Amino acid sequence: MSAAEKMSRRDEMETLLPFYLNGSLEGAELEAVEEWLATDPAALAALGEAEAEFSSTAASNEAIRPPADALSRFARALDAEAGPVRAPAASSWLTQAWGRFTAVPAGVAWAAAAALLALVVVQAFEQPGGIDSDFEIAGQQGDLAKMPFALVTFKPDAKMADIVAFLGEHQLKIAAGPTAEGVFRLGIPAATAADYEKVLGLIAAQPFAEAVVEGRKPVDGG
Amino acid sequence: MTAATETDRALVGRVAKGDRAAVRLLFMRHHARVYRFVVRQTGSEMMADDIANEVFLELWRQAPGFEGRSEVSTWLLGIARFKALSSLRKKKEDWIDDDDAAQVADGADSPEVVTMKEDKGAALRRFIDALPEEHRTVIDLAYYHGQSVSEIGEVLGIPVATVKTRMFYARKKLGEALKAAGYDRGWP
Repeated sequence: MSAAEKMSRRDEMETLLPFYLNGSLEGAELEAVEEWLATDPAALAALGEAEAEFSSTAASNEAIRPPADALSRFARALDAEAGPVRAPAASSWLTQAWGRFTAVPAGVAWAAAAALLALVVVQAFEQPGGIDSDFEIAGQQGDLAKMPFALVTFKPDAKMADIVAFLGEHQLKIAAGPTAEGVFRLGIPAATAADYEKVLGLIAAQPFAEAVVEGRKPVDGG
Repeated sequence: MTAATETDRALVGRVAKGDRAAVRLLFMRHHARVYRFVVRQTGSEMMADDIANEVFLELWRQAPGFEGRSEVSTWLLGIARFKALSSLRKKKEDWIDDDDAAQVADGADSPEVVTMKEDKGAALRRFIDALPEEHRTVIDLAYYHGQSVSEIGEVLGIPVATVKTRMFYARKKLGEALKAAGYDRGWP
């Protein structure tokens, strides 16, 4: 192989390294990079350089902080958009209460219903002989701020009894919420990432859960 | 994101049926990255704030037409790129000229003595930020957004060969800038 050919191959490999690192390389190009890494002593140093670029690019991007109120402003803009109207489903008392809000814009109705949901949860615990569980509201115990958490929204036809029973059964805690968009922050008492993932999966599988987004998870390398 | 949560494509399907909660969830998943992408494109947080919101409103409007031939994240970045370019044209702002690349190595606004005091990571970060827009964008899309060659081509509307060419020159310029700043590097 001539010097020119060798340089050309090096150029090609250097061009492909970022895609090797982000896992998107496949087929013949992936094989070529892996063969190069395995046979050329300079290749591992080159990979280290690309990894440094990877880290620096991530740092530059993550230094950019999105506005904290972006979601609420987006929700307001979304309310102004035309689109199919979501119909409340179940005929529970909560649904009837929900129905009273449908005369107002969707986002406002959702926020109000979410607040109603939170209020009912609190009331359930204040009632004598109410739900006896380990379920807790933020501020009652421990340092919820440090606890792993997920962001959750509930379906408007969700039944309170189902939610409360589930939260209590899994010792989940409402750490904050609802936001104006009806988002709750649920504290998850998971010691490992695997436990956390398991609970997230359980929440997502519940018929009353509308959306579940991963928040802070335990850092254990798992 | 767990396997138990809905995929982006499934959520777009819900959005297509008018499910506002699904679009809010997609917003929560992707907004930060879209916002950062637009900030890096436009250099303006104010502009990026408006454009990122518009991207998700466009998702709401266009979801019925989403055919799933690309990842949702790629689709969103493509919309973001188009809107960023449109906004920049409206404001008659110029793209960073390719000639600015020379400044990376020349260090016109960054004396060598300052560079030497930095650690290599900080210097590299500064050099990446100073790359011409078209080069920095492929770096961002590959390293930060995890996009493949073909996905970057889709987002930017350019052939895959051009993506590779831009990546080659972007990394070459970074290497030259590091060398000029006194950091040893085997390539170029």
